[in-house]
Amino acid sequence: MSADFGSNVVNPFSVRRSENKWILPISVMLMALGFMTSVAWLDNADRSGRIQRLSPDQRERLSLGTLNLAEENESLRSEVTKLREENTKLQNAVAQNSNASDSLNKSLQEMKLFSALTPVQGPGIAITLRDVKTGGPDEIASMGQIIHDTDVLRVVNELKNAGAEAIAVNNRRVGPNTNFRCVGTTILVDETKIASPVLIKAMGDSATLFGAINLPGGILDEIRQTDPKMVDVQLVTDMRLPAFSGSTTFKVAKVPVDRP
Amino acid sequence: MILIPILALLVGLLLGFMLKLQLGGIWQIYMAVAVVAGIDTVLGGIRSALEGKFRGDVFVTGFIANVAIASFLAWFGDKIGANVYFVAILVLGTRIFTNLSIIRRQLLTKWHDVRERKRLDSEAKAQQGESESKAQTVAT
Repeated sequence: MSADFGSNVVNPFSVRRSENKWILPISVMLMALGFMTSVAWLDNADRSGRIQRLSPDQRERLSLGTLNLAEENESLRSEVTKLREENTKLQNAVAQNSNASDSLNKSLQEMKLFSALTPVQGPGIAITLRDVKTGGPDEIASMGQIIHDTDVLRVVNELKNAGAEAIAVNNRRVGPNTNFRCVGTTILVDETKIASPVLIKAMGDSATLFGAINLPGGILDEIRQTDPKMVDVQLVTDMRLPAFSGSTTFKVAKVPVDRP
Repeated sequence: MILIPILALLVGLLLGFMLKLQLGGIWQIYMAVAVVAGIDTVLGGIRSALEGKFRGDVFVTGFIANVAIASFLAWFGDKIGANVYFVAILVLGTRIFTNLSIIRRQLLTKWHDVRERKRLDSEAKAQQGESESKAQTVAT
């Protein structure tokens, strides 16, 4: 290094000295560039923020690749902890006979809530789907103007995906084995016939549900492309949904004797 | 000497990551465009240094102006609903490739020059040695 310096000093050609003058400005600007790069660097949180600016198909392609498994893991872990605590509580209650019935009842109520066997109350959204008047004899065009069983099914499915805790279709609670079928000109929800307008109520965080159900490329977006009048979504601050009233008996399935 | 710019780049990166500055959503896209503009300008600077016509003032103002214009265009494009963002990235990317190829050619030429000079030197030396030995044989 010192030899280099010496040779520079004795060098009679001043041009050689000025050959290095680019080093300082370029270094300074590279430092600025490095800083800018690190600021623009994406981490997971930013990536989801930028996803919102992509077109729906780009978003779909991206979401296929990066499901947030870490977050899911975390929530599963906390659920395990919760369940263990509950287990302990139940065991304690069994041990001290006095609390047993209380705890059992509480656990039973939770089970009933989960399987839609109790009425529920809370905030949510209300979605109305309705047919629009058919304009002419064109059968193919009029197919899109009718609310089908698959539309209802897909809306319910998206609501579940968005975190809806309870769903009712035309005031019939959606239970664990609720199904939607097409029978002639009407839709069959379990055993009840319904027709347009179809009112789907979902309980859960209203803003989240509202945002999720209105995502571009979603089912409501698809229906709206035929006619925006076919869909109406309202935020509801407080509503009551009835209990599931269908059959809950099992004919074949049994709990195995050696259950853990 | 070449290590100084590389070190500076690393210092800048570390500084940014340590400060953990976070730009919200869309601003990060403008920053990304600005980074691409910055890369282009720095490569342009290195290229002109190799060509022997580097000017500090031109380089520094060019860096600032390019970064500012690129991010402004990206922002403006968003405001008027045209994806100028892509155009900026495309043009800057093309220029990065051009600059890199010129830098590569310059370095290759320099390398060839050095090799050629060495070859000529050694040839001259060999000739000199030959004539010397000839002179010696004549003397004997």
